[in-house]
Amino acid sequence: MLLEQDFQGFSFDLFLRNQQLLRRWSNESKERIENVLAKPPRKTGTTIAGVLFAGGVVLGADTRATEGNVVADKNCSKIHYIASNIYCCGAGTAADTEATTQLIASQMELHRQAVDRDLVPVAAAMTRLKHYLFRYQGYISAALVLGGVDELNGPSLYTVYPHGSVDQLPYVSMGSGSLAAMAVFEARWHEALTEEEAKCLVYEAISAGIENDLGSGSNVDLCVVKNGGRAVDYLRGYAKENVRVYRKPTGHVFARGTTAVLAQELRKYVQVTRVVSDL
Amino acid sequence: MSHPDPGFVSMSFDSDTQRKIVSHQRTWSPYVDNGGTVLALAGRDYAIVAADTRLSVGFSIPSRNFTKIVQLTDQAVLASAGMGADRQYLHKILRSRLEIYRYQHQKEMSLGAIAQLLSNTLYSRRFFPIYAFNVLGGIDANTGEGFVFGYDAIGSFEKVKVVCSGSGQTLVQPVLDQQLAGRQKYDVPDDQRMASLSLAEAIELTRDVFNSAAERDILTGDALELYAVTASGVRCERFELRRD
Amino acid sequence: MSRSHEATIPPARGFSSSSGGGLKTSTPASLELLYAAAAASDPFEGIASAMSFTKHLLMHNCDVWTPDWYNPTQDPQLGTTIMAVEYDGGVVLAADSRTSTGTYVANRVSDKITAVAPPYIYCARSGSAADTQMLADTVRRYVTALALETQRPATVRTAAALFRELIYQNKSRLTAGVICAGWDPLNGGQVYSITLGGTLVRQPFSIGGSGSTYIYGYCDASYRKGMNREACIAFCQQAASLAMARDGSSGGVLRMVCIEESGAQRLLFTEDQLPRGWQG
Repeated sequence: MLLEQDFQGFSFDLFLRNQQLLRRWSNESKERIENVLAKPPRKTGTTIAGVLFAGGVVLGADTRATEGNVVADKNCSKIHYIASNIYCCGAGTAADTEATTQLIASQMELHRQAVDRDLVPVAAAMTRLKHYLFRYQGYISAALVLGGVDELNGPSLYTVYPHGSVDQLPYVSMGSGSLAAMAVFEARWHEALTEEEAKCLVYEAISAGIENDLGSGSNVDLCVVKNGGRAVDYLRGYAKENVRVYRKPTGHVFARGTTAVLAQELRKYVQVTRVVSDL
Repeated sequence: MSHPDPGFVSMSFDSDTQRKIVSHQRTWSPYVDNGGTVLALAGRDYAIVAADTRLSVGFSIPSRNFTKIVQLTDQAVLASAGMGADRQYLHKILRSRLEIYRYQHQKEMSLGAIAQLLSNTLYSRRFFPIYAFNVLGGIDANTGEGFVFGYDAIGSFEKVKVVCSGSGQTLVQPVLDQQLAGRQKYDVPDDQRMASLSLAEAIELTRDVFNSAAERDILTGDALELYAVTASGVRCERFELRRD
Repeated sequence: MSRSHEATIPPARGFSSSSGGGLKTSTPASLELLYAAAAASDPFEGIASAMSFTKHLLMHNCDVWTPDWYNPTQDPQLGTTIMAVEYDGGVVLAADSRTSTGTYVANRVSDKITAVAPPYIYCARSGSAADTQMLADTVRRYVTALALETQRPATVRTAAALFRELIYQNKSRLTAGVICAGWDPLNGGQVYSITLGGTLVRQPFSIGGSGSTYIYGYCDASYRKGMNREACIAFCQQAASLAMARDGSSGGVLRMVCIEESGAQRLLFTEDQLPRGWQG
């Protein structure tokens, strides 16, 4: 629907600029440059989720990164550090989620030092993120689940959309597997979750994404922020249930000479000279 | 008003770009790619036809157990990647043609004839192609030698030793080429190497490459169906693959 | 026209020229300064056009690889039913709670009634979630600063005029239909509707969002001037639930805020607490 709207009529915006760019790099053939430019960015077709419990917040993510239909990374990390008491799961374009969370992480540390406090409010990170993403009008494709604990509001959980809108809910999911994860939450979430129950629920939600969404896969990472923001369990590889089932017992043999030696030449590159300096 | 950039030249859309923009307009398409990988490999006295069983649409999995393979005769097995509906339609009409052949000739159609029949069937739809990418494997009823045929969607086919098609093709085919080729001859599998490859070894290799494809191709997974065609008949085996 | 990543201070955006709006006459001159300060951190100063090439690439990519219910370039929309009604001594704002991304309900309990100057001025938002959240935040900031500077609470009209100004000046970039309502000692309960194009109009009652089209007739027929609080709440309940039942983009729970001299009160009605119309 978006496409139809957007491509109605002509859009000449920056066409000229792009032609200029192409011309500047004209030592390469135009076709090649267009291929390079058109290479789709690495997406984290993703399942990320978060749940609040009485003493804190649990964040979860799968670990698959894709480039088109190909798995680019089987064990990437999608739960990013924002501050010692705040973590953020990212879905969308990998480069965008990483750059955005790193930028806000640095701003949060500066803010923390400026106000001379141990912990920054999660709402501060949320506000910075939404303003930053809003400024780029959705072109930074970062869909985020932000969670943490602070002295102001206790445990907080937000979703931040690429266009800069924010939702605050007790349980959230994002990414291409968000429907599978949300199905688990809507069926099993209740108000009085313990920490262990919350971890279990997030694990099951992410697993549902990993199983049923092709953009998500491999392992489940969890991150628990608790104890007033002073304790963090970063559980990288909380569950590793998707492993290669079979491998050829003999392995693949590459016979000697598989790579042909077309020419051989030996050269002596190093000349040893003795230098004695008298200081 | 002059432009601040001295290198600035006014331009309009070239026809290529116009075409690209027009191609962005969404229209209904009769074709859907349901993913999956198929493979066929011919040994000296056997043929293997294998496929994964995942059926996908976009990012979801409507079925984890959707066969891509049909056994046409005791000597011929066909596997098709591409669109699920077109595959079922193609398999149905091929089976009915073979049944008619049996009634008319009181014998099974030979592998070579099936290969040509499939080509004719595909080409009959030259301008509204059946969206299926086929690999046909089997043995010669007289000599017992394994043969494999690879196809494009409109009936061009070739007799080969090993072929792979579908979403995992780009991952699997180079491995097969390398493993089955002689030194430096990546284009054609080495006859001696193929001749010395036992059925058990070939099954190991097939399982291995499908597991590799399932690791990196999101459309391939769930289970591997493997048909081994030998003089003593067709044997079907099933192996689990990653499900994520 | 070059644009940089940094927000630049744009030339005064026609604030000094006569616009014929109520803003100039009803607000102090010090607002001019405030506007200049606000313009320095204008959140609407985007770099949108500089990104159009990237957009083509991204959209191409999305077209191929993302299912239609998950398109990260798709903006969550408040396909909405919102309304505000004046009654004798105050106003009621009402809104459904559905936020959707395409056909997926991204939030079924969202709060579309946002405080602008609590407890006396609130707004009900419809349109793009991102745009209206940012608008409400911005107006809240201006109104708070104005109240500090003038040492008295801002009037409802001032807040509404700020919405009007932001929407009007950025109309090409925003998808926002806002109803701003509240109570002040000057004019009592007031409802202001700000349209997509940036027209500000005071109305005794206003309905908005995609769901409102279903209930224009009902509202015109059953609105009564000078209702008491209870009658006004009942009117909002009835109208909003009718819209939520018919509009696929509206639903969830019904939220209300009642504002009068004594302050604001929030009300929440779940599905089972709403009047049921004809069910077929």
